Amino acid sequence: MNFQVFLDIATVALRILMPIYAVFIIYQCFASMRRQRRPEKPLVTLEIKNTGQKLPVLFWENSIGRSRGSDIVIADSTVSRDHCVLLRRAEGWFVSDIGSKSGTFINGEEAIGRERVLIDDEITVGTTTLVLKRGEEYQERIRPSWFFSKASDKGSLQPYKLMLLITFFHLFMAVEACFSNEVQDFVPLYVFGAFTVISWVFFLISAYAFNRVNFELEALGLFLSGIGVMLLVRQELRSAFVQMIAMTFGLILYSFLVKFIENPDRVNSWRLAIMIGAVGLLAINLVFGRVQNGAANWINIGGISVQPSEFVKIAFIFVGASALDRLQTKRNFIEFIIFSAICVGALALMGDFGTALIFFGTFILIAFMRSGDFKTLILALAAAVFGGIIVLKFKPYVADRFAAWGHVWENAQGAAYQQARTLTYTASGGLFGVGTGNGYMKYIFASESDLVFGLVAEELGVIIAFAIAIAIVALAFYSRAVTTRSRSSFYSISACCAAGLMVIQTALNIFGSTDILPLTGVTLPFISAGGSSIISCWGLLAFIKAADERTYSQKRILRGED
Amino acid sequence: MKRIMQRSFLILIVSLVFFGGICFLAFRLLTQNSMWVQQPYNGHMSSSNGLAQAGDIVDRDGAVLAHTDASKNRVYHEDLTTREALLHVVGDNSLNISTAVQSSYRNELTNYSFIWGLGMPNSLKSGKSLALTVDAGACRAAYEALGSHKGACVIYNYKTGEVLCSTSTLSYDPENPPEINEDNEEQYDGVYLDNTISSTFTPGSIFKIVTAAAAIKYIPDIYEQSFYCEGEYEIEGSKITCEEYHGYQNFDEAFSHSCNCAFAQIALQVGRENLTKTAEELGFNKELFMDDIALVKSHYDVSQAGDNELAWSGIGQYTDLSNPMHMAMLCGSIATGGTAKAPYLIQDHDSFLAQLGIEKKAADVQMLDANTSEQVKVLMRNAANYYYNARGLDLAGLNFCAKTGTAEIGEDKEPNAWFVGFTEDDAHPYAFAAVVAEGGYGISAAASVVSAAMYELVY
Repeated sequence: MNFQVFLDIATVALRILMPIYAVFIIYQCFASMRRQRRPEKPLVTLEIKNTGQKLPVLFWENSIGRSRGSDIVIADSTVSRDHCVLLRRAEGWFVSDIGSKSGTFINGEEAIGRERVLIDDEITVGTTTLVLKRGEEYQERIRPSWFFSKASDKGSLQPYKLMLLITFFHLFMAVEACFSNEVQDFVPLYVFGAFTVISWVFFLISAYAFNRVNFELEALGLFLSGIGVMLLVRQELRSAFVQMIAMTFGLILYSFLVKFIENPDRVNSWRLAIMIGAVGLLAINLVFGRVQNGAANWINIGGISVQPSEFVKIAFIFVGASALDRLQTKRNFIEFIIFSAICVGALALMGDFGTALIFFGTFILIAFMRSGDFKTLILALAAAVFGGIIVLKFKPYVADRFAAWGHVWENAQGAAYQQARTLTYTASGGLFGVGTGNGYMKYIFASESDLVFGLVAEELGVIIAFAIAIAIVALAFYSRAVTTRSRSSFYSISACCAAGLMVIQTALNIFGSTDILPLTGVTLPFISAGGSSIISCWGLLAFIKAADERTYSQKRILRGED
Repeated sequence: MKRIMQRSFLILIVSLVFFGGICFLAFRLLTQNSMWVQQPYNGHMSSSNGLAQAGDIVDRDGAVLAHTDASKNRVYHEDLTTREALLHVVGDNSLNISTAVQSSYRNELTNYSFIWGLGMPNSLKSGKSLALTVDAGACRAAYEALGSHKGACVIYNYKTGEVLCSTSTLSYDPENPPEINEDNEEQYDGVYLDNTISSTFTPGSIFKIVTAAAAIKYIPDIYEQSFYCEGEYEIEGSKITCEEYHGYQNFDEAFSHSCNCAFAQIALQVGRENLTKTAEELGFNKELFMDDIALVKSHYDVSQAGDNELAWSGIGQYTDLSNPMHMAMLCGSIATGGTAKAPYLIQDHDSFLAQLGIEKKAADVQMLDANTSEQVKVLMRNAANYYYNARGLDLAGLNFCAKTGTAEIGEDKEPNAWFVGFTEDDAHPYAFAAVVAEGGYGISAAASVVSAAMYELVY
């Protein structure tokens, strides 16, 4: 056996190892999320004065009312269906009346706006009086969500170990790229070095400056972003550096957002400003937008191309979510609907139908989570179908995309050029890929962004490509699992919808490029090259981070509060 | 918060739909990956189109038809004529002949599997050899007999489905593929099509097999009828003519004489619907397969035809078109009592997916009922015994049933010559179809091609 054959066997062995390794990393990220959760016990207890019955208060924000969907159900006909909200803030517990008929009284005095309540205070709703007691007063066991492991499970992987795993994965990609078929040099190692420095500095700041215990979400984000950067090295080196710089801004935005939304009430006072800012951004885009590939969704600021719609995604989630006592007000909801209509309309005007579709899908998610109303849902869908027909009528090039849809092989040199390449190179990669830098997909236009699924599948193999898709869906499952443990409905809604947005975007990206849906040209979260896109992904991740109550309650030194 | 939790099931639904989409993509990838990979633009296959690692292709006797030598060059059979005769079966280095084994079974030859993809280092790649069912000698003989005419000859074993002889002209040497440009376009017209499976020709009188089958099925007294031929038959002011004056004849004689006047009348008696129905049962307008390669559909459509055109269609003119492999299958079905065995070219070829029933696979085709096929067999046997044998036609001494065809294809062009049928011999159960474009009369042109190949197969 000569040296070349030995080298080849080593290369193939590394390729087989990497998908297994990637799946292990993604598993570890989510396994850590499932652990380190405070035991399932009530935060406080409400005692019904007459009967002595004890009601556990499980959430940071609890609706009290007669309707069965309330968090605390009071079987008393004088109580409104949605009567008031009992909520917890850093300062303590508050009661807020949400338009009940008979009013809410604290120690006999009517509550106007949010009123502070202390242990042993009496809250009167209708003819029922509730006494606020400590959580320990409630003794029965409560069943935890399936997502989380039992408290007795072994501890999670130390964050720095997770980071080491990820760094080694990126190193393997860099080594592969160093020995790529066409070019052999050590440039990939420099890129790897730069990326590693950025991600470890971020980790250390998170752990020591912010004293955060958990790092799984960030680790997952860094893992995916790193794959995107390393794939760019042999495609266009400059883009790899641009991507890293953009990711750094993304990390800064992430840290800022997590801090900014720490107080859900402060968020509310900024809501209008954010809304106006986002609309303004879209207006600037509409006026100064540059047309690129059929959509005028770019603006140029001092030589840097920016895609404003990516940042509006974050504003969209902001405006959509709200704390429980403000969620019920009509004004809040109508503002959101108008804002959504402006966003979707502006994007349609720009010709960016992929992003418009993402916004619309997210709108449906938010609207339903707020109202639970199927009528709103059906009405919105009907409006969308109508809008879709109008678009097809007035923007014929969109219809052309539909024409090629499902007929890739007849149009492989024409309208379906990109999809045909994506499918061919996806299949060419096999399960384990042809190795970083060895692909041919990278020569196809937009293969680093809209068609990146093909690039990942070809160079890293189908296993990793699918694992990335599954990881993004798992984010949605995770967001759902932390819903009731969030410190405010603002976090629950924003996390679920931010994850939902990413799932919709991933679906449009993967299924669009592989001819299961028409090609709309949107990015794959974290992986696709594109500065605005990756910054926005990190911004969205902040919402998911904030929804986990551990983010703000657990500190590195003093573990656990309750 | 409980309510919000409950409502978040919508995100769960979105996620599940997404997951379903991923499963669908995985399924497509699993079932279609070879087709996706097989694209001429695929960069991973650019070096001699990926054939540098391909295994050998051998014929039924082990003769090497294609081979990659030590210096990674693809070389073909040592004999030039054999190379040309098997061009459309084996293929060349290009993907131009898309139905050839080197194009359509490239993945098997290069041992591509979806598990490893195309990224294996060269030192770890190894090709797989494929054995074909064809006999190189028979193909060569048929090719020589076809001469400079455009045409095709196919012979297959109607009991097993093995394709024994398949050759298509015009052809070229795969080791020296021509540069086709404006000057020589005409010389190489249609050269990338395998005429046995990818072309259709006007059938002419061989279509009388179909008309006869329809008559047997739908005209109860067909054998009692007498047909008068005075050399021409006028219908709607247009004349259908015969080469000679046949006089009074019964159904059997009309078939043997290949009397146009009689069959025009029979077609009209059978009627548009019944004739269409029989033609479609016999495989016209229907997708048929050899291995997993779809044959070009034979064409029969009289939905817009008047009586005159219906009459012409009954004698294989009008818009009728036949594919040679399909014609051999049709004859095979008559030989076996109604069912055409699915033809195949690759020995022991059954992919994993085909075994699971996921992949399309050639299946036997029920074309006729036993009674009708027996009657048609008698007609074709009589035609052979009393007419073709008498004219000195000999298929390696085997008993055979057959029909010739001479299809007019327009003014100042020689007609297309056809010869289709099957042998009645337990050791050599062969169905055949040969067509010679602009070859003149069927018995002289096309039959000699079949005869030449048959001698190679039998001796």
